Amino acid sequence: MNERRTCVPADAAQLPVLTQFLQEFWSAASLPPAQAMNFELALEEVFMNVVSHGSSPGTVPRVEVSLLLADGGVMMSIEDDGAAFNPLTLPEPDIQAKIDERRVGGLGVFLVRKLMDAVSYQRNGSRNQLRMSKHIEEPLGGSAHMSPGSSGM
Amino acid sequence: MNVTFETLARTTLVIPQGRLDFGAADGFQKRIEEGLAGAGSAPAALIVDCSALDYVSSAGLRVFLTSARAAQRAGIAFALCALQPAVREVFDVSGFSRIITVYADRATALAHTGPTRE
Repeated sequence: MNERRTCVPADAAQLPVLTQFLQEFWSAASLPPAQAMNFELALEEVFMNVVSHGSSPGTVPRVEVSLLLADGGVMMSIEDDGAAFNPLTLPEPDIQAKIDERRVGGLGVFLVRKLMDAVSYQRNGSRNQLRMSKHIEEPLGGSAHMSPGSSGM
Repeated sequence: MNVTFETLARTTLVIPQGRLDFGAADGFQKRIEEGLAGAGSAPAALIVDCSALDYVSSAGLRVFLTSARAAQRAGIAFALCALQPAVREVFDVSGFSRIITVYADRATALAHTGPTRE
């Protein structure tokens, strides 16, 4: 079980389905539960971005999520066939702003960039693809796929 | 997400349990608004005890920000306490730890916002 893939319509009601998909991958791979939240958050933020920005009138994009157990970490890819949109071009929120000046929102992608080790965007034909990865510390399963020090992904 | 309330003198404790994601955000916002309005009269302080809060996304942060502002306008002390490590990380990374008061545990939060305080 090194790779899992699923596909859902870009509808906010599908968020629990994706979260469950991620949690099942996590436990099947015996990954440390404490480190699941960063991936759950990245999945929610990127998916909700597609839900909010990806639709054009009369169409609902499809979103394909794949999770890959790579050397020392997890790689997540989120692809959609919605309007071309690179979320990494969004301006960063001012995290020094005072409470009254702090913008409500604009935080999701910022959190993804901060909590993941690497995030990259690609436009593949008619699809947006966001790939993100993060090193996982002290895997509970002690799986051979997770040996630290080797590179890859 | 399940949300319960406790009242201690003029302090209202809001205790969310579970995941504060996009789907839970609106409901949680309403519960906090109920807490700020109070039963009969508004509380002097509202503390969100996060010891059973497993997950927060930007949708949840948005609720905390709007709530902190609403409390400030109403003259109600607003604070969080007992954040789990992963939730704490989201608060630190987003800069929210700087704009919203966060106490280590419920006792500390009560000591700082409780009856001894105006």
